[in-house]
Amino acid sequence: MNKFLAITFLTAVVVLTSCSDVKRKPGSIYMPDMAYSRAYESYDDHSKLKEKGIHYDARPVAGTIARGKEMPFPYAQDAAGDTTNYTLSKTVPNPIDSLSVVDAKEAERLYLINCGICHGAKLDGNGPLYKDGNGPYAAKPAALVGDAKYENMPDGQMFYSVAYGKNLMGSYASQLSKRQRWMVIKYIKNKQAVAKASK
Amino acid sequence: MTILRSLTKILSIFLFITLSTSIGNQVNAQDGKALFSQNCASCHAVNKKLTGPALAGVEDRWPEKKNLYAWIKNSAAFLKTGDAYANNLYNEYNKTAMNSFPSLSDADIDAILAYIKTVPAPGAAPAGGAAGAAAPAEDDSDSTLVFGILTLILAVVSLILLQVNSNLKKLSDDKSGIPAVEPVPFYRNKAYIAFIAIILFIAGGYMTTVGAMNLGRSKDYQPEQPIYYSHKVHAGVNQINCQYCHIGTYQGKQATLPSVNVCMNCHMAINEYKGEPLVRENGDVVDGTAEIKKLYKYAGYTEGQPWDASKAQPIEWVRIHNLPDHVYFNHAQHVNAGQVACQECHGEIQKMGEVKQQNDLSMGWCVNCHRQTKVQFKDNGFYSIYEKFHADIKSGKIDSTKGITVEKIGGTECQKCHY
Ligand code: HEC
Ligand code: HEC
Ligand code: HEC
Ligand code: HEC
Ligand code: HEC
Ligand code: HEC
Ligand code: HEC
Repeated sequence: MNKFLAITFLTAVVVLTSCSDVKRKPGSIYMPDMAYSRAYESYDDHSKLKEKGIHYDARPVAGTIARGKEMPFPYAQDAAGDTTNYTLSKTVPNPIDSLSVVDAKEAERLYLINCGICHGAKLDGNGPLYKDGNGPYAAKPAALVGDAKYENMPDGQMFYSVAYGKNLMGSYASQLSKRQRWMVIKYIKNKQAVAKASK
Repeated sequence: MTILRSLTKILSIFLFITLSTSIGNQVNAQDGKALFSQNCASCHAVNKKLTGPALAGVEDRWPEKKNLYAWIKNSAAFLKTGDAYANNLYNEYNKTAMNSFPSLSDADIDAILAYIKTVPAPGAAPAGGAAGAAAPAEDDSDSTLVFGILTLILAVVSLILLQVNSNLKKLSDDKSGIPAVEPVPFYRNKAYIAFIAIILFIAGGYMTTVGAMNLGRSKDYQPEQPIYYSHKVHAGVNQINCQYCHIGTYQGKQATLPSVNVCMNCHMAINEYKGEPLVRENGDVVDGTAEIKKLYKYAGYTEGQPWDASKAQPIEWVRIHNLPDHVYFNHAQHVNAGQVACQECHGEIQKMGEVKQQNDLSMGWCVNCHRQTKVQFKDNGFYSIYEKFHADIKSGKIDSTKGITVEKIGGTECQKCHY
């Protein structure tokens, strides 16, 4: 009797304590060929495709533009210490003359997601990450509305900074397509015009 | 008397002078703060290196005040004078040009310098009471353990009581002269055996079914990631939008994980963690700053140097949510057209330190939601082709308060989800 009790007690203790509620391993699988695909999925290692005899390149052929897409930006990124192309980019016009109602809404959405966190929903350079210097992000983002320097900055130069980055601000080329970048810049320009008119 | 009066006079004048000069200083520093924030803060902090050097103690590095004025007003022109310190600094900062500020007067610059002096060194400021603020909530694993032990004790007590009961019966039987039957040990007692067999059958059957149903499913899966990256810190406390990082949700099938350059957009400037203490699920404390250094290692970034993105290595995050290949799931369809919030499927991600799979991603889960959820038919160009439904809603054939569920537009047909 005592032996029996002791054994049940011990097994119960072992079972109860070994059940951690953090699950570090995925569930087991009986058809792994479907769960862990043999085809290339989005997060696979794509770096050695050539060696495996797979000839695939997701980049467009050099010198071509997809139908209906914007022309590429004519200036490359400056080397360190050089500002030639940054200055030249002032001459590039914004291919978007005006935003339709739908596009304006979309541009605002893109701005709030990608830029508002630093530049602020009001475009005053005081987003939640900066908070007058009390936030975790130490560098002051440009006050796109309220600073004459940025109000007079041509669209093309803004595009340069958004596409290649400027000092501590990184490049947004991987998050926004060319058209989306121009849309956001148009949105900023529209906001600046409104702020100027109400002054 | 007169002596006293003149003494008070002198004293008050003295007081007035000291007061006014100190107030003047304060005003000066306040102006300086505004000027600094407007002109310099995008590149300089007082105690932290950003695009330009930390400015604390800068006046000691520039013995000639005149040169400092010249530098700040027009650094490019000053570099041409061939000043060795300035040129070295310029090269040290990889020839990053500082803006010129021709409109700043000497007094303005003095105000900025005065402001810089008022900012305390980092260690001096009393640290906020972050420590101890977040006592970890009572763990529910503890309560299951307590319940388990309680049940066990109850079971033991009832067994003992049973034994006592049978012993008492035996005693009373002995007394009343009924001949004692040789007691059957409990492991040969038929009632006991039948009882245990039934219990085993039910429990075993239940566990097998549940186990079989969970094959290929990973509810609650919460792997350890190569970097302790906390959604609570980013999406919760700092309010970064999910789509800042998961760009694909609006346009494509895949949500996409951010590449290293997206992290570096912020982390070129944020090189230490100063928020609430971070704790892993098992209670280990995480050093946020050390985790950011891990990110720098993947990025191939040395602090203070400009970052060369081509040196970055991908971070191999462990995939959590994963449907088998025979299911087609598209994020844009749900997030963009369907306007479903991330949290409905993934749970409160913005409160998770480590991401955990909230739902089992079973077919029943998908289909249930498709049966219950109404599509956002109104003002959504995506559904304009469902003309009959629109007409029926208008004519009242379909109750507009009930609306159109995903099932009605074919969301439970096999081929919508299975290739
Ligand atoms: C992580 C914070 C952060 C985010 C997000 C951010 N910026 Fe910036 N931005 C900065 C900082 C800091 C500067 C100041 C850089 C400098 O002058 O040194 C800046 C400067 C700029 C400038 C002026 C550049 C110049 O040439 O002087 C423009 C234009 C700009 N940002 C646009 C944008 C747009 C558009 C977005 C969204 C796609 C965006 N920013 C998102 C931090 C950010
Ligand atoms: C565009 C970014 C930028 C802005 C804006 C800027 N600086 Fe600088 N500053 C730099 C850089 C970069 C250096 C390092 C030298 C170099 O590369 O030119 C520097 C160097 C300095 C130095 C010398 C520091 C030392 O350690 O000796 C002083 C002083 C200075 N800046 C003051 C200012 C003041 C004051 C302002 C605002 C009125 C300002 N800077 C605005 C980028 C900037
Ligand atoms: C600063 C960038 C960033 C932001 C903002 C962000 N995430 Fe993430 N997310 C990541 C990274 C990096 C991973 C991979 C590491 C991990 O799983 O913890 C990830 C993983 C995930 C996963 C698990 C992916 C898998 O492998 O199955 C989900 C789900 C998710 N995020 C949802 C969200 C939601 C919902 C939000 C908004 C509340 C959000 N994320 C905001 C960067 C971000
Ligand atoms: C939009 C800005 C932004 C982006 C993008 C971003 N972070 Fe952060 N990160 C922050 C902020 C803000 C903090 C908090 C700093 C503080 O509170 O001191 C932080 C803190 C951290 C920490 C320390 C706390 C923790 O979660 O362990 C790590 C590690 C980290 N980030 C990694 C990453 C990685 C990896 C990525 C890319 C997937 C990334 N970050 C992208 C802004 C960002
Ligand atoms: C209708 C439910 C649903 C909604 C809404 C949803 N997800 Fe997902 N998510 C899933 C499922 C299911 C998977 C697994 C997909 C797979 O394996 O193909 C997934 C996978 C992911 C992944 C990892 C794999 C990948 O596709 O990159 C991330 C990251 C993610 N979701 C983020 C988000 C974010 C951010 C949002 C909100 C903008 C969101 N999800 C909204 C159901 C949803
Ligand atoms: C939180 C609720 C919810 C969950 C969970 C959910 N869906 Fe959906 N799903 C929707 C909504 C709402 C729509 C309507 C959007 C539309 O019509 O395209 C939709 C539409 C779809 C469509 C397109 C249907 C059509 O007629 O075009 C597919 C395919 C789909 N879901 C697959 C899935 C799969 C696979 C899962 C499970 C992994 C899933 N969904 C889980 C809400 C959900
Ligand atoms: C809303 C999307 C959806 C629809 C509609 C749907 N399924 Fe599924 N089905 C799934 C998902 C998700 C899974 C994966 C479940 C899992 O991994 O546990 C699945 C799994 C299955 C499996 C099991 C495969 C396995 O490995 O376990 C079968 C069989 C199946 N579906 C048949 C059907 C049939 C037949 C229909 C039509 C009557 C149908 N499904 C309609 C989403 C759907």
